[in-house]
Amino acid sequence: MDQYLDKLPDFVEKIKSIKEAIIANTVLIGQIPAPTFKEKRRTTVFMERLAEFQVDECSTDGYRNPIGIIRGTSETKPPIFVVAHLDTIFGRDVDHYYTIAENSITGPAIMDNSLGVGVLASLPEIFRKLDLRFESDIVLAGVIQSLGKGNLRGIRHLLKTWATPIRGAVCIEGAELGRLSYYADGMIRCEVDCNISTANGWEHKFKPNAILIVNEVINQILELRLPQKPRSRVIIGKTSGGFKHGMIAYDAMLGFEIQSKSDRMVKAIFNDIQDIVEGISHENEVELNLKTLSNIRASSLKYNNPLVKSSVKVMKKLDLEPVSEPSESELSIFLSRKIPSVTLGITRGDNYHLENATIEIEPIFKGIAQIIGVLLAIDSGVCDEK
Amino acid sequence: MKNSWMKSNTFHYSEFSDLNRLVEEKRKKNLKISLCLPTLNEEKTIAKEIIIMKSELMTRYPLLDEIVIVDSGSTDKTREIAGSYGADVYEAEDILPNLEKFKGKGENLWKALYITKGDIIVYLDADIKNIHHRFVYALVGPLLLFDNIKYAKAFYDRPISIGKSKIRPTGGGRVTELVIRPLFSLFFPELTQILQPLSGEYAGFREVFEEIPFPIGYGVETSMILDIYDKWGLDVFAQVDLDRRIHRNQDTRALGKMAFAILLTFINRKRKLGMVDYKDDIFREMIQYNLVKDEYEPDIFKIEGHERPPIIEIPEYREKFNRSVS
Repeated sequence: MDQYLDKLPDFVEKIKSIKEAIIANTVLIGQIPAPTFKEKRRTTVFMERLAEFQVDECSTDGYRNPIGIIRGTSETKPPIFVVAHLDTIFGRDVDHYYTIAENSITGPAIMDNSLGVGVLASLPEIFRKLDLRFESDIVLAGVIQSLGKGNLRGIRHLLKTWATPIRGAVCIEGAELGRLSYYADGMIRCEVDCNISTANGWEHKFKPNAILIVNEVINQILELRLPQKPRSRVIIGKTSGGFKHGMIAYDAMLGFEIQSKSDRMVKAIFNDIQDIVEGISHENEVELNLKTLSNIRASSLKYNNPLVKSSVKVMKKLDLEPVSEPSESELSIFLSRKIPSVTLGITRGDNYHLENATIEIEPIFKGIAQIIGVLLAIDSGVCDEK
Repeated sequence: MKNSWMKSNTFHYSEFSDLNRLVEEKRKKNLKISLCLPTLNEEKTIAKEIIIMKSELMTRYPLLDEIVIVDSGSTDKTREIAGSYGADVYEAEDILPNLEKFKGKGENLWKALYITKGDIIVYLDADIKNIHHRFVYALVGPLLLFDNIKYAKAFYDRPISIGKSKIRPTGGGRVTELVIRPLFSLFFPELTQILQPLSGEYAGFREVFEEIPFPIGYGVETSMILDIYDKWGLDVFAQVDLDRRIHRNQDTRALGKMAFAILLTFINRKRKLGMVDYKDDIFREMIQYNLVKDEYEPDIFKIEGHERPPIIEIPEYREKFNRSVS
């Protein structure tokens, strides 16, 4: 059953022999800006590339997720999904033109997730190069509206409307090589907005400072006692506000995520923070709004799940040391639907979410061999075991 | 002035996107095609150009037979990076080493004729940030599909009316609109139909390039148009809309020097063609001024105006390509 493992080291060099096609796909797709909700142009180019690389079917679903299908040899085996999100955190005004050096590619969103999308579009050519045929259909899906306020809408819709069972899935991300995600924490992503009236008059004589109000929210969140079991945390991730140095701030914003292995705990912490926000709003007579941007439910495979065990074997065969970490991405939606799946990283890099994000080229080929190893494992039946 | 040429010989790149057809035409006509990228310190963009062309137009569709870099002595990693991605890399001064040595883009283009194998040569600037394989196939397309076309040039905007009355300007660069277009309008009105005569992306048959002289510097695009027009007429030209091109922007002083070199080339060509009878010598120094502390100091940019003869006149070339002077 594990015969494919021995072939993996040879795959690395064969994949490398078409590195120009893989890099060309990454660059040609990645240079098209695709902020969440505005992925149309990137979707079109991604579809063109899939069609160019001769998948058997190429179309979009009802939510405009672009999908390519490579037909398998079996008419009865359910399909295997390979998924990468198309959207990025960078706006259209950011210069998306990439720079390629001897062993690196630099540019916005190259790690999250243009490399993943470029590799996804290259898989048909890579399968041909490796002379691989699968029993299952391979569904290559570039999903839209994943990040931030997108709240994984693309993948949610795709799986909700997919009519037949799904055998297993691999979600691919640009970084980091060695990552093996097979569980997703429960999560609520929120924003607190503070707005102070700009009106003048004696009743507005002593205006509070919006930044200090938000600061008070942060202080009270930090005072919350969070349990170590189930593991839970609040990540203060974004803040902005104010107008200029010499004026009190009339507006401020705080963005944070509540994460926990337990959905119940996520909800309890959210309720605590809601109380904090309402209390501060009342005490300071300010407008303070708590908004939920997105949420996902906790779900996981066990470490001894056959897919996880096979993924570890694949990685070790390629001299990769698996590092487990939770994923808040497409993986969580697959797992919540009881579809065995993992998220894998393709290469190493720096400046993950900056405009000068840089990836190393050389490890990419091992990263792709690992993805193919896991697909072969699923195709050989590891997800079929009950 | 008639503008019938513009109607018949202006194309959009999408008209040539059937790459299988281009490859088939190339095979039928038994042609080789070379891509030449002249470089000077282009480490930021060179790899991307090579990778995309190699992947799309060599590996996937065998349209190109070689990618050749001719470098003017870059001090950054241009040559190493280009070599690492499989391009054939040459230093210009190592090609035909017995000849007097010059530095300039025109020199690189001219020497590329000696080291490339192609019947068709495609020249692309190496600083294109939004490089796409259309930059090559769209220039090669007219040469393969239309027997009368011998030289194809890029432009990057559509001077097409929007609705009935709205007109968009052509988007030519500053030097084009302030120098070239007025000159063409005065002396060669027919050539004003070429929308971006200074674009650095063009392709042509070897038999054309080997018969014309190459100025070693900035004037090479202008002289190429004038010489091909003089020898073969406008009907051998095509121009292709390549949509957008993003590249480094140059400041006004640098453009001033470029304009000076182009004017010099233009006047020399006019003299050669017997179109002007200008008795005095022309000064070959472009003088610009800098304010240094409280003094204005001249900043002199000297252009020798060297020009390589048609390469077919070089014995080594004739021997290598088995040619005789026509």
